[in-house]
Amino acid sequence: MKKNILGKSLYTIGLTIICIIMIVPIYYLVVTTFKSPEEAALSPLGLPKALDFSNYTKALEAMDYLQALKNNLIITIVAVLLLVFFATMAAYVIARSQKKIFKVMYSIFLVGLIIPFQIAVVPLYQIISGLNLMDTHLGVILVNVFCINLPLSIFLLRGFISTVPIELEEAAFMDGCGTFKTFWVIIFPLLKPIVSTVVILNTLAIWNDFLTPLLFIQSPEKQVLLQQVYRNVGPFSTDWTSFFPMLVMSTLPLVIFYIFMQKRVIEGVVAGSVKG
Amino acid sequence: MYNKNRQRVFMLMILPTFIGFFILYIVPTAMSFFYSLTNWSVYNADLQFVGLDNFKMLFEDSKTLAGIKNTIIYALITLVVQNAIAIVLAVFLDKKTKSANFVKSLVFLPAVLSILVVGFLFQYIMTSADYGLLNNIVQFFGGDPVNWLGNKDIALYSVIATQVWQWSGWLMVIYIANLKSIDTALYEAAEIDGASKMSKFFKITLPLLYPAASFNILLSLINGMKVFDVILAMTQGGPGYATETIMTTLIREGFNSGRNAYASALGVVFFVAVFILSRIVIAFLNKWERKIS
Repeated sequence: MKKNILGKSLYTIGLTIICIIMIVPIYYLVVTTFKSPEEAALSPLGLPKALDFSNYTKALEAMDYLQALKNNLIITIVAVLLLVFFATMAAYVIARSQKKIFKVMYSIFLVGLIIPFQIAVVPLYQIISGLNLMDTHLGVILVNVFCINLPLSIFLLRGFISTVPIELEEAAFMDGCGTFKTFWVIIFPLLKPIVSTVVILNTLAIWNDFLTPLLFIQSPEKQVLLQQVYRNVGPFSTDWTSFFPMLVMSTLPLVIFYIFMQKRVIEGVVAGSVKG
Repeated sequence: MYNKNRQRVFMLMILPTFIGFFILYIVPTAMSFFYSLTNWSVYNADLQFVGLDNFKMLFEDSKTLAGIKNTIIYALITLVVQNAIAIVLAVFLDKKTKSANFVKSLVFLPAVLSILVVGFLFQYIMTSADYGLLNNIVQFFGGDPVNWLGNKDIALYSVIATQVWQWSGWLMVIYIANLKSIDTALYEAAEIDGASKMSKFFKITLPLLYPAASFNILLSLINGMKVFDVILAMTQGGPGYATETIMTTLIREGFNSGRNAYASALGVVFFVAVFILSRIVIAFLNKWERKIS
């Protein structure tokens, strides 16, 4: 009995220590956004004296927030939709056809899981210029879809589709439904769990992707949130409490997404961890 | 009829995806290998084969070598520390209580933040300026301030610490899912045999975490080898070359200095390093798998 109480309080102490390590940096980030540099230097962890939003208004303007947020949303949403559209069809064909050519294509897709795309960035830059996609959102979207995130998505989807019974499709075909229609009407709705995994993993990856926009977008009005943060760190080095709101605002959309979809996000991460 | 038409539709369904992948991944990857054997740069329009000259140059350049060495140290240390912490957290938090659930979601939270943002935040926390939070805390407990990011012997480890803070939760949720699949009868049997908590952990839990561990270990290795954003935010490769990595060198040489062929050669070295290290890690993992089966 005594041992149990001791164990329990040790456990509570452990939980508290973990909490402190996780919370302090985030708490520090948030409280600092309401302070002046002097106040923040004087009492870094104290609550702000007043709830002053002037740092936020300064940051909103400096990072052209609404425009950058719009750019982030466009790139992330379009890229994720395209990924789901292309990867589910490709994975379906690979899972269902015995033809050798599709097996060969699959093994070529899987090369993307082995060789990191980063080694290809220099020639990729040339190709994107050659396609007249430099400094466009479409360029960033296509790189994110076809160069970076396609192989893992196809791999996860193919594994799932193999477990869907084929009899369903045969029945649909008997009813006169073509292959393409059968896929979208009968099969696609059954893929909801794995599609949600693909959507979540890719949303996190594309929203937080910094390297691709850094290389392929130059015009300030087309830049994404992280580029705006990166651009402002120098000019704001002495006014760093006005810089912190930029960190908060650039991550806030995903934090909100996480708070509401927590269970789904964690399930997605777990489902994405099956290895081949 | 059914089959022939079906195969044609199949081809139409996969071909656009394959072409996109071919143009934007396979072609540039192959070009990198090709360019690594040439003298291509922005100052040198006339392309010539130079054999392995770029590689020779690369292995004589102390800055690039430092980048390769730092990347490997970074990847191996994050691999070990992140996974060790994630396993301990998973065992500790794999409970159905409200507080354990809350701490679990809190530990995962930094994984949804961008690496760049976490890097900037910790750059301010670890700064040696007077307002640096970490040094304030160290001094509060009576320690001497440390130059976390300015001392070349410490800087790389400071960067590693921030990434362990950010990503352990991601690995943890994968370990927790694995823990749930372990048959509780095993623990009951061990209890009857009078096994201690420690020996249950080392004899039952740890070996049976193999599936999650093999995934997580390879994931941390490959992500560690790609380290870039956090360096850009925290140290820009300094002090000196203390935190240069393969990716920071590759981007600098390929884009800022215009040494395209040199950057491509470094890309090839990067691939070879990832390949060899993952082979070694996989060999270790296979040994582990044989031991438990």
